[in-house]
Amino acid sequence: MYSSIVRLQNAFGFFTTVAFVVAAFIAASDLLSPRTPSVGVLKTTNVQVVRGRPHYYSHKKEEYAIIKFSLDADLSSLFTWNTKQLFVYVTAEWPSAGGSGSGQNATNQAVIWDSIITSPSADHLANLGPIAMKKLKRSAQGKSIDPSRGKLSIKNQRPKYQITHPTGKLAEQDNVVLRLHYNVQPWVGILTWNQDVDFWKWKTFKNNLSKKFALPALKKKDEKKAR
Amino acid sequence: MAEQLLDQARDLFEGQIDFEGQKLVEVLVNAALTLVGAIAFFVGYFLQDIKLAVYIGLIGTAAVFVLVVPPWPFYNRNPVKWLPVGGITPPANLVVDDKMFR
Repeated sequence: MYSSIVRLQNAFGFFTTVAFVVAAFIAASDLLSPRTPSVGVLKTTNVQVVRGRPHYYSHKKEEYAIIKFSLDADLSSLFTWNTKQLFVYVTAEWPSAGGSGSGQNATNQAVIWDSIITSPSADHLANLGPIAMKKLKRSAQGKSIDPSRGKLSIKNQRPKYQITHPTGKLAEQDNVVLRLHYNVQPWVGILTWNQDVDFWKWKTFKNNLSKKFALPALKKKDEKKAR
Repeated sequence: MAEQLLDQARDLFEGQIDFEGQKLVEVLVNAALTLVGAIAFFVGYFLQDIKLAVYIGLIGTAAVFVLVVPPWPFYNRNPVKWLPVGGITPPANLVVDDKMFR
């Protein structure tokens, strides 16, 4: 601590220690806030299977499922001061043709829709144009956290992704379910996904499955011209 | 004249402080930075605002740097009193490393 440079080094060195410890406390503070995500409605509204190509020059034609759905969920308890953004996604799942004998691939799972919900503290990171960005920022003016963003109410949503299967066959598949997933991305700390067991104040994600449904038969030729 | 100016500039850059000042700086750095970290965490937690916590932490740390890095006068209140150059002869019974100095 004799000269200015030594004092600068020592002070900065201790600052890094303090910053690390504070970050650890912030990460641990997540455990104190209860997480009680709940799902009201998750159901399909319109399901189609059409034939199409994976890309324009492909000779292979595959069957694509277009699953429209409605969703009502309250994920507001996942928004705390340490939440940077919430990734919400819906998958369709169905058993493999080989049944449980197909090992790791006994269940097919494909994402049909996803969304990133930013916390007000991370709004500036959202991938939006200037006008949408302004609107997003204004929606949380003066608020450091905005749990109301976790209340999802989506009616007859078109899927973002049409799904297929490596075999190219998907029509008339039975026992398909939709599953809602979340992924909390904190500013500091660990990523957390859906929970299957209660962990102290963090409760299991329940009712995040839709009823089982069957994919319909292939649509006739004249109906897929628009694609 | 130029030499004097250079000496002054070097003193300012090196920013030497006395032993008591060094002791004080050590305590100040540890206490103040810990305090800043604690304030940042608790204010952030109770207002549920992580940006505020970051700003408190960074601004507080900058303030601590301003407090401890420059050689402020209060770190130099106990200057070491050196013996005058060639002023007095060493005492006759001065012993260093078991050797008698004459």
